[in-house]
Amino acid sequence: MISNNKKRLKNLTAICLAGATVLTMAACGRKNGSGVNLAQMEESNVKIVNLFSPMEKMDAKVKNVARSAADKTIMLAEEKLGVEVGYVTYTAENYQDKTYDDVTLDRARNNMDDIYLLNPDTMRTLGEEGKLRDLSDLKCVNNLRDVVKAANIIDGKLVAIPQEVVAYGLFINKDMFNRYSLPLPETPEDFLECCKVFKENGIETPVGANRWWLETFVLAQAYADLYNGGNTEAEIEALNNGDSKYSDYMRPGFEFLQEMIDLGYIDAKKAYVSEAMEGEREDFLAQKIPIVMAYWGAANTETAYGNPDFEMLVIGFPSNRGRVPIITMTGFGIGNNAEHAEDAAAVLDIILSDEALQIYAETNRVISPSKNVEVECIPALKPLNDRIQENVYVLGSNAGLDVEQWGNTCLIVRDLLNGATVDECMAKFDQLQEEAFNK
Amino acid sequence: MRNKQSKENINKGISLPLSIILIFAVLACIVFLVSYKISREMSESAIQNLNESLNLIRSTIEAVLNQEAEFQKLMAQEIAESEDLKEPILRYGENQTMIQISLICAGETEGITSKGERFTEEGLDFTAKGTLDGVDISKSYLNHMGTWAYTMKCPVIKDGEEIASLYVEYIYDSFNKSLPEGFYNKRAMLYIMDGETERFILKPKGMGERDAGHLNLSDYYRANEINETEIRNEVAECLKERRNIMFYHDIRGKDSLNYMWAVNGGTIYLVGYVPIEAIQQEGRTVNQNIFIVVAVMLIAFFLCCVLYYLNHRQQNKLREEREKEREIHNQQLAEALQAAQIASNSKTTFLSNMSHDIRTPMNAVLGFTMLLARDAENPEKVREYTQKIRASGQHLLSLINDILDISKIESGKVVLSVEEFTLNDLVSSVDAVIRPMAQDKEQKLFVDVTGIKYERLLGDETRINQILINLLSNAVKYTPKGGSIWFRIIGLKQRSSQFEHIRIEVEDNGYGMTQEYLKTIFDAFTRAENSTTNKVQGTGLGMAITKNIVELMGGTIDVFSEEGKGSLFRVEMELRIPEGQMDKQFWAEKGISRILAVDRDRDVCHNIQILMNEAGVAVDQAQTLEEAVSLILDSPKEGYHAVLLDNHLASQAADQTVQNIRDMLPDSVPLLLLTDNGTNETKNIIQTDNIRILSKPFFVSVFKETILKMRSVKEKSDTGQPEPDSSLDGLNLLAAEDNEINAEILHEIITIENARCEIVENGKLAVERFMNSAKNEFDAILMDVQMPVMNGYDATRAIRALARDDARHIPIIAMTANAFVEDEKEAINAGMNIYLTKPIDVEALKQVLKQYIKTDD
Repeated sequence: MISNNKKRLKNLTAICLAGATVLTMAACGRKNGSGVNLAQMEESNVKIVNLFSPMEKMDAKVKNVARSAADKTIMLAEEKLGVEVGYVTYTAENYQDKTYDDVTLDRARNNMDDIYLLNPDTMRTLGEEGKLRDLSDLKCVNNLRDVVKAANIIDGKLVAIPQEVVAYGLFINKDMFNRYSLPLPETPEDFLECCKVFKENGIETPVGANRWWLETFVLAQAYADLYNGGNTEAEIEALNNGDSKYSDYMRPGFEFLQEMIDLGYIDAKKAYVSEAMEGEREDFLAQKIPIVMAYWGAANTETAYGNPDFEMLVIGFPSNRGRVPIITMTGFGIGNNAEHAEDAAAVLDIILSDEALQIYAETNRVISPSKNVEVECIPALKPLNDRIQENVYVLGSNAGLDVEQWGNTCLIVRDLLNGATVDECMAKFDQLQEEAFNK
Repeated sequence: MRNKQSKENINKGISLPLSIILIFAVLACIVFLVSYKISREMSESAIQNLNESLNLIRSTIEAVLNQEAEFQKLMAQEIAESEDLKEPILRYGENQTMIQISLICAGETEGITSKGERFTEEGLDFTAKGTLDGVDISKSYLNHMGTWAYTMKCPVIKDGEEIASLYVEYIYDSFNKSLPEGFYNKRAMLYIMDGETERFILKPKGMGERDAGHLNLSDYYRANEINETEIRNEVAECLKERRNIMFYHDIRGKDSLNYMWAVNGGTIYLVGYVPIEAIQQEGRTVNQNIFIVVAVMLIAFFLCCVLYYLNHRQQNKLREEREKEREIHNQQLAEALQAAQIASNSKTTFLSNMSHDIRTPMNAVLGFTMLLARDAENPEKVREYTQKIRASGQHLLSLINDILDISKIESGKVVLSVEEFTLNDLVSSVDAVIRPMAQDKEQKLFVDVTGIKYERLLGDETRINQILINLLSNAVKYTPKGGSIWFRIIGLKQRSSQFEHIRIEVEDNGYGMTQEYLKTIFDAFTRAENSTTNKVQGTGLGMAITKNIVELMGGTIDVFSEEGKGSLFRVEMELRIPEGQMDKQFWAEKGISRILAVDRDRDVCHNIQILMNEAGVAVDQAQTLEEAVSLILDSPKEGYHAVLLDNHLASQAADQTVQNIRDMLPDSVPLLLLTDNGTNETKNIIQTDNIRILSKPFFVSVFKETILKMRSVKEKSDTGQPEPDSSLDGLNLLAAEDNEINAEILHEIITIENARCEIVENGKLAVERFMNSAKNEFDAILMDVQMPVMNGYDATRAIRALARDDARHIPIIAMTANAFVEDEKEAINAGMNIYLTKPIDVEALKQVLKQYIKTDD
């Protein structure tokens, strides 16, 4: 019995050794390469789609959630279509540089890219110039909310579709408000009172601002009644007819900003030269200032205001109708003469499909433009979301208004920051209204 | 000495693992050194490779710039040669490389573009003094297309005089066409940086991670946490001096090689990083392979160790098992030796006993033979001596039978002969043998049969008989004079309807046995001996034979004994019940359907009831005569067809009581008096035609036989037939016997019985004699079995095969010393009628002859 086992073991060992030897010899004796020509063929059939978008400054230690969400949808499109989406990016180095919007306009006018991520004003400008393709034929359009479609239709063409509905609000350090027993401000007066208390308590500049987002204060006060007063269409028509003046709507907001500047609640000079979040983010996170303004997604991403060390709340902007969120949309558009227009349209159809928007919304916790996609928001955003759910909001841009609001207001607010008077600013609105009327 | 050996063992035990560890340590060092060397060489090679790649990219870009500069100079020459300087400009169209072509004449600040538009140097910065083959290169700027561009300014010289400047705008995007798509498998990051502004102006396609983007060098530092002042200063120094720099730094947690590579004298830089793992991919692959090989070798080594350990453990286990086996074997050998010695001793003792036991009766035989010769004239003495010789001979015979039996049982040659028998016959035959023995010792023998449902059973009656004789004869032997012996057959609850479960108990109040002896009572060649019993004769085989036979029948035997108080042997066995157990028809034919049982003992009545109910006969019970009389009087019209009356009860009653009962019954109704077997009470009973004795225990068969006899006597008396003659007078027998003495004895016995006997010496002669005989000349043939020439079986077959009528019918009686059942079977199979064992019992022979000759008649 034992000798049988030994024999078996010996046989097994011999077989294993023989096998190992044969394998080794086979491996060592393998010829190099599998043919005569060792050159690796270049892949020539890869479809390329160029996407122009801004690139936020990177932080080595945190991940950009918003960017990751967009990337996921892009990868989904690449996987489904077999295309390669190349990113082309631009971010202004400082205020003296061309803005992203300027560069977007230049690139779109010169057909440099296929897909552009467009702010409302550039979308309107390019749409009116006929530089953008009509996206109405895309399948994903059927899933869009009506307000989304309405906001992006220029001259009867759907020229851009967003991946998220961007709601702007005030980011509040609730701990600091609690410290001074301050209620959350409902009206501009409340807000000024809060700033006053902060200032009296040694906070020199209670409101952190940059050159991009101060317009939100103005728009909230200007159009809170227009969008929530029940007479929206008539008021818009009156503005377009010239029966009403934009300057009349805008004046309270500008005067409010002027007062804030005059009282030192906003550092106008710093804001004028600061890129988005560049000047205020650090101070807000360090709890040096209690109030900043930003978009919905900033509350979710650590590259902005995600996971602060204090209780943060995002509320609407003060107005005579209480706190109102400003809603705007940054959408994807395709150049009318884009080199890879068809592939670009296919990519958009994927990245704006319900499947992709679900991924996007779940990653970024934002309001989806699709009526079929709903995700829960984080607790900090609840006050803002509650107002949106109540249908109380102001559109930052509206294609139905003859004068583009988002970009123009931004530029005129910059003038105010740069020292222009409220009257001078209002004169510019009047001029814009006249130009629009004469078109 | 032992300590020294122990230390040596420990040293051996430690040195082996130490050696293995040492070998592995050396191996690990070698592997590490080889891997380190490979990594270092591959790293150097990779750095060199990266240098070459960067140089190649730089050369490519510089070549593009050179070509652009040369082409621009050619354009300038062409413009210089034209009369209208602006005319060639307007002829140039836009293309993807030269985005805008413009000209400003010398001494002017404004010029025109190829589109005819106004052109100034505003926005163009040539202060960086970047030149290429005499052509100035501006700082990078964002052009009207929203992309990074640079402008080359080339003087238009005519006749040695600069007459204008030619401006051509190029975009960095055009480098994409010249640069490779991907760098280190798209894992390396590459930017083109403006040397003056340190602004990143192009990230060529396929260079680095898609979602990464940097604005400028400080953003690059910040995003990648390159905060070390030393590195930053070194980089600043190199940029200032427009030198290349390459350094290690972690990028996003990966050890990377960072580089700043000057192009075109440092007007632009190639900036980026390559993760070390991407550079050293080959080295890492080699190292991984080395580690895989080492890991495989280690696993193989450990497997070998495990196998060795398992094998070693297996060997140890086997060795231990072998040692255990050897120990067991040795123990078994020792036990076997001991057993052999005990057996030898037993045999020696046995032989000694046998010698004694055989010699004793032999001595008696020879001694009485001698006395017989001397006192031949004295008939009284002759009878006495012959009786004693006969007794000694019987004893010798039983000794020989026992020895043969045990020999046969032990060799497994015993085959049970299962046939139908009745318990009545069994009890009767045993009683007939044992009761005289008990009476000789003035012992009381009580026979009791209770709870038996079926008295006809299937079994080896001879062997059961042997068991009972052995047990009872032992009881007689080992019970002193005046003692009592109880023989009980008890019907137990049936386990199967096809088997009668019986218990046989033999109890005595004799000497009893010691507990030590009880342990060996069923072993062969043992015999209880002490001062009280050493006069008892026996082979010591009886109990061994008994146990073997009981077990052969599937039964069990137990013994309970206490020294001085007696013993109880209990045998339990199951015997198959034959089909057609009860001849119900007999009782119906005889008109017996209801009987009365009268006995003091209720058990006896109950036993009768059980047995008769099976026969379809109703039984009424009475425990007193008065009760019996009352029942008879109160019985229905048909009354009882038989009355069983305990004789003891009857004897105690007044003289006329039995007769009165008899008178109360019709003459045709038999009155049977139940008597205890072996008592003298029957002597006083006057048996008439309708009063008979029936011995206890009650058996249906005996009852039936008695009824039959009573009826037949009545019929005979009615017909007046005489009783048959029971002698052998006038019979003529043929006997085959080769032994002269046996032949002579046989001849004499038969002659004494007034019969004639012709003896032949073998079977062949017997056949021949019978052939030559006249028809019915012989009444029977007595055939020995073992004979020369032709044995008894063959002779019988030959006779039966003869073609004469009487050959088939003549009784052939076997007479043999082969006393086994198998021999009897063979005899019957050969055609013999019956089988008698030697020495011949004259009475048995007479009975058999009478039976067969009568039957034959």
